Amino acid sequence: MRWWRRRLVGVMACALPAGATTPGIDPDRCAELIERLRCEAPLLIRFSLHASVAVFLLSPLVTVGRPCPASWLSAENLDRHTARMARHPSYLLRQAMLMIKTVAGLCWGADPAVRRALGMEPYPAETGEWRRM
Amino acid sequence: MAADVIAPRAHLSFQTGAPVELDVDYVVVGSGAGGAAAAATLARSGRTVCLCERGPWRDPEHYPATVYGAMRDLWADWGTLFARGRSMIPILQASCVGGTTVINSAIVVRTPPTVLAEWAELGLGEVFSETAMGAEQDELERELGVTQMKGRQLMEHSEALLRALRSRDLEGHAIHRNARDCIGSGQCLQGCREGAKTSTNLCWVPEVATRGGTVLSCASVARVLIERGRAVGVSGRFVHPAPARGQRRGGSRFVVRARRGVLVAASATGSAPLLERSGLRLPALGRGWRGQPGAAMLGVYPHEVHMERGTTQGAASLAFSSERFKLESLALPLELLVARVGGAGVDYARALEQAPRMAMWVAAVRAEAQGTVRAGRLGPPVVRYAPTRRDTERLRQGLGRLARLHFDAGAEKVLPGIHGLPGELGPDELTALDSAPVDNRCYTWVLSHLFGGCVMGNDPTRSVVAEDLHVRGVRRLHVVDAACLPTTLGVNPQHTIMAVARIVAGRIANEEGTT
Ligand SMILES: Cc1cc2nc3c(=O)[nH]c(=O)nc-3n(C[C@H](O)[C@H](O)[C@H](O)COP(=O)(O)OP(=O)(O)OC[C@H]3O[C@@H](n4cnc5c(N)ncnc54)[C@H](O)[C@@H]3O)c2cc1C
Ligand code: SF4
Repeated sequence: MRWWRRRLVGVMACALPAGATTPGIDPDRCAELIERLRCEAPLLIRFSLHASVAVFLLSPLVTVGRPCPASWLSAENLDRHTARMARHPSYLLRQAMLMIKTVAGLCWGADPAVRRALGMEPYPAETGEWRRM
Repeated sequence: MAADVIAPRAHLSFQTGAPVELDVDYVVVGSGAGGAAAAATLARSGRTVCLCERGPWRDPEHYPATVYGAMRDLWADWGTLFARGRSMIPILQASCVGGTTVINSAIVVRTPPTVLAEWAELGLGEVFSETAMGAEQDELERELGVTQMKGRQLMEHSEALLRALRSRDLEGHAIHRNARDCIGSGQCLQGCREGAKTSTNLCWVPEVATRGGTVLSCASVARVLIERGRAVGVSGRFVHPAPARGQRRGGSRFVVRARRGVLVAASATGSAPLLERSGLRLPALGRGWRGQPGAAMLGVYPHEVHMERGTTQGAASLAFSSERFKLESLALPLELLVARVGGAGVDYARALEQAPRMAMWVAAVRAEAQGTVRAGRLGPPVVRYAPTRRDTERLRQGLGRLARLHFDAGAEKVLPGIHGLPGELGPDELTALDSAPVDNRCYTWVLSHLFGGCVMGNDPTRSVVAEDLHVRGVRRLHVVDAACLPTTLGVNPQHTIMAVARIVAGRIANEEGTT
C-alpha cells in the first residue's frame, strides 16, 4: 500500500512540478491529502483517482511509444508522457489526467508556500463544524 | 423502537436512537432558493412548517476556506455528480441548509419578459404574469438587500470586462447581487465567511424557526407519504455529515406528518427522483431536464489582475441574449484553476505561474438540449444530458467573443482550454477559435444552472405539475424549485425560482385545503 501511495504522490508531482518561481506539489502535503481523501471522500472520488493514476502508469505506449510503465521512463520522457496525456485524442486519457490535476490542484492551490509565491493570501484554518442544536 | 414524538422546536440536527415524529401543517423538503422561500412564506401566514434539509446547518464561521473543505462541507456529493452524455459534464450544487444559495455568486437577475412570454404561450401566464412576478421580485430585492456592485467590489477582473464591452459598444453592466456588504473576497464558491451574502440559511431558514417552525438538518427525505391520493407527510433518515471512521452514517428515522400539504424543493436533480422513489409514475416525471452549461476563456495580461481580489462575479453582458449565450466575469479559486488551464507537466507549471495575471470570463449557453433525471440505484441521481451541436456552436461563439474582449482589454494572450486548439492563442490567431471542433468533448463545460424534471405545464402528458405547481394526480403535493421551471431562462435562475416559490406558497397559504 505504501508503494502505491508513493506512486500516487509521484504521479501528481509529474502533473504539477515546480515552475521557475513557484514550488511544485509538496509530497508531504500531497500524501496527507490522499490520506484525508481515503478517510473522508466518497468511493467514487477515491476510485476515480486510483483508476486515473493506474491509467497514467500504464499508458506510455500510446503517448510516447514506450511499452513500459510510466515509472520506468526517463525524466524527459515522463514529462512528455504527462503533457501528451493531457492533450491526447482519447477522451478517456484526457479525463484521467483531468482527475489527477483536479486532486493535485486541491493540494497545490491551498499550499501557503505556493500562494505566497503567487502573491495570494494564505487560507485561514477551517473548523468543519456545523450547528448541532 | 417507540418513536419520539417531538413538539415543534426550532432546530433538530443529526439524531440517533428512537425514530423522530413530528406533526405540522406543512413540510417542505429542501432549504435552497425554492424551499426556503416557500417555507418562510407559509410560516409568515401563521402555519407551522417543518423544513427538512439533507445537509447540515453551517453558519459563516463554520464555512470552509479551501476548495477541498467546500467539496467536503458544502457541495452536494463532493461535486461528483455528472451529466452523462457524449461527455461528462460536472454538475455543481450544494447540500447544506441554504442549498445552493450558500455557494452561489449571489447574482440577482429578474425573469426576462421574453421568458414570461414563452411561459404564457405554454398557458402559464395567469399565475406567473409579468405583473405578479415583477411585484414579487421587487419585494425579494428589498428583503435580500440587492445592490449593484461597484468600486472595490469589482476590481480589475470585472472592470476589464466592462471596459472591453464599452469599447465595442456592447451592453455590459456591473452585476446586482444579494450581497450588499460584499468585501470582494472572491470566495463565494466556498460560502461567504463574511456573512455578506444573504443566502437562505441566513434569512428565511432562521425565520421559519423563529416563527414556530422546525428545521430538521442532516435529514434526508427518502419518500413522500401518499395515502388515498393525498400527500400526508414525508419519511427519511438523519445522515451524519462527517462520520468518524467506523461510525455509521445513518441515524434515526424520522416521519413528519403534514396536515395541510407537502412541498418538494430538492432541486432539479433531487425533486423528480424523490417523487419517483415515492411511487409516482407520471409520463413526464424526470423528463425535460435542462441546463445553461458554460465554459471559460482565460486571458493573460501584462499586469497583475489577481482575480481572487474583488467579488466572485462582478460584470456581465446580455448583449448576446438573442444568440442564446451570456457573458460574465468569474473568479476561480487557484485550486480549480489548475484543472481549467490546459496541459500537464513542466510547461503547464510555467503557465500556472501566470495565475496572478489571469482573468477568467465565462460564456453560459441557454442550451436547447433536454435530458432526463432518474433516481439512481446507488443513491445519487442519474442525469442524462448532452448539449446539442447547436449548443456547442453557441458556446464556441461565446468563447470567441470573450477572447476578442480579452484582447480589447489589453490581454497578451488567451488560454482557450479547447481540445484540438493550441494551449494559448495570440491576438492574430483567433480565427482558430472560429473553426474549433464542434464536439462537446472538446470543451470544459460546467453545469450550475439546472432546470426541470418536474416541469409545469397544461398538458398532463408533458408536465408533472400544473400552473399552481400541484403534482398531477396527488392532492396537497407541490414542487416549488428549479425542477418545475418549464424552460431555461437565459439569466441566473435564483430570483425566478424564489419568486415562483413565493407566489405559489402564498396561494397555498391562502387556500384552505389545497388542491
Ligand atoms: C457555483 C454556483 C453559482 C451560482 N450562482 C448563481 C447566481 O449568482 N445567481 C443565481 O441566480 N443562480 C446561481 N446559481 C444557481 C442557483 O443557486 C440555483 O439555481 C438555485 O439555488 C436552485 O434552487 P433550488 O431550490 O432548486 O435548489 P437548491 O438551492 O440546490 O436547494 C435544494 C436543497 O434540497 C436539498 N435536498 C435534496 N434532496 C433532499 C432530500 N431528499 N431530503 C432533504 N433535502 C434534500 C439539498 O441538500 C439542497 O440543500 C449558482 C449555482 C452554482 C452551483
Ligand atoms: S465575494 Fe467574498 S465577501 Fe463578497 S459575497 Fe462572495 S464570499 Fe462574500
